[in-house]
Amino acid sequence: MTGALLFGTIGMVDVFLAMAILIVMASFVSLYRGIEGPGIFNRIIAVNVIGTKTIVLLVLIGFIYERPDFFDIALVYAILNFIMTIAATRY
Amino acid sequence: MSDTTTITNVITVVFLLTGAFFMLAGTIGFVRFPDFYSRMHATGKCDTLGEGLMLVALIVYGGATFVSVKILFLIMFILLANPTSTHAIAKAAYDVGLEPWRKLDDRVEWMNTGDTSDTGNISNTGNSGEGRADQDRGEGR
Repeated sequence: MTGALLFGTIGMVDVFLAMAILIVMASFVSLYRGIEGPGIFNRIIAVNVIGTKTIVLLVLIGFIYERPDFFDIALVYAILNFIMTIAATRY
Repeated sequence: MSDTTTITNVITVVFLLTGAFFMLAGTIGFVRFPDFYSRMHATGKCDTLGEGLMLVALIVYGGATFVSVKILFLIMFILLANPTSTHAIAKAAYDVGLEPWRKLDDRVEWMNTGDTSDTGNISNTGNSGEGRADQDRGEGR
């Protein structure tokens, strides 16, 4: 299951790494709205967006380093993100 | 072997790029839209779809293993939970009394309530939101 070469010397792990870097950059852009955004609801939705990006990032890290432990961690992160959002909106 | 692997890799890369496009579009909309509700409109759909597409790409890459079943459960949970949390946040904001963005006349008022100054921005908006919450909870939600 280790990636065969796709375009010349670019392996699939490099593609996953580029996607992971892209997700980290997108979550930093979302963090701007979380810091700067007016009101508390923009911050709640920023935390929700960063959490949903973190799930994909964890699954990508699990595929990059070929460690299946990260998928359980991603599942737990998804459940915690959902529960945190519901609890923050019902306070 | 190599032919099947190449086709699998091409499908994986196409799904990954599509998901990354949707995720970046959602992020740009989240930063640049003028209102809370329109920001929620941007993130609630684009993040769910982009995340689902990227995880589908990883399922295609991983093949039919136990790991793919876990990611499939993750996709199903995300498709259930992400619209639910978006709806919960939007309903909480509407109950608190956050006003939607108007076109021209009310926009000045919205800007004044939203952005007063640099230092007092966080405390002012937080206090006004909590004050509205207390008023609305007195009447019963």
